[in-house]
Amino acid sequence: MSAPPLLRIEFPARAESLAEVRAAVQRALATQHIDARIAARIVLAIDEACANIIRHAYRGCGDGRIALRIERHRERLRFRLRDRAPAVDPGCVKPRDLSECRPGGLGINIIDETMDHWRLRPLKRHCGNVLTMVRRLHARKA
Amino acid sequence: MDKGSELRRDGDWAVLRIWGEVDLSWSQDVRRQVLEAYAKVKSLAVQLDGVSYIDSSGIAALVEGFQHARSKGGRFALLAPSEAVRAVLELARLDRVFPIFTDLAAARAA
Repeated sequence: MSAPPLLRIEFPARAESLAEVRAAVQRALATQHIDARIAARIVLAIDEACANIIRHAYRGCGDGRIALRIERHRERLRFRLRDRAPAVDPGCVKPRDLSECRPGGLGINIIDETMDHWRLRPLKRHCGNVLTMVRRLHARKA
Repeated sequence: MDKGSELRRDGDWAVLRIWGEVDLSWSQDVRRQVLEAYAKVKSLAVQLDGVSYIDSSGIAALVEGFQHARSKGGRFALLAPSEAVRAVLELARLDRVFPIFTDLAAARAA
């Protein structure tokens, strides 16, 4: 039996939603007594993931919605973001070379650096994508 | 959440002070302000001590300012980035790229 989620919210896929989402994630993490620096990184990574969905999956059209679920399984936090945007090719979503100084494209690097692993999966039967990210609480990553 | 910006002239520099949370909902406006400032001066400093949160879209606005200055022979500096800003700059390895100073006097002297 899975544990009850720490957070389960659904919100409009608009940039204006992000401040409220960050606050909700922050509150959920605070209940788990997670180190403030790690919590800040996780909040940033989730914000980046949501921003990518808004900009690239929904292409900023603003009509879609995003569902976020956070669960804790022992010493792991699992974050699941689901959208109903057209399928995204996971092969196109990868971190970029940070030695290049150019604007944009940092979101995946932030997710990659913050999470222990993540997976983007387009849904086969329905329109949408699911991004699952896992972070160990006692991982070496800051 | 309180957020805002103000632009002031200080000799041949302009200082754009921004505060609050810089995310996707506001970063395009910050980007526009950074680039518009270069219409008036060749040297721009962005003061970041009041920024409580910044995401990659906000960082991208700063990178554009930096690149604009480089391409036009101007100067670009970040002043007193908050801990939140520093953490993201370090994550993106941009703390080694941006000229970062405690205040405008230090940027001027560099």
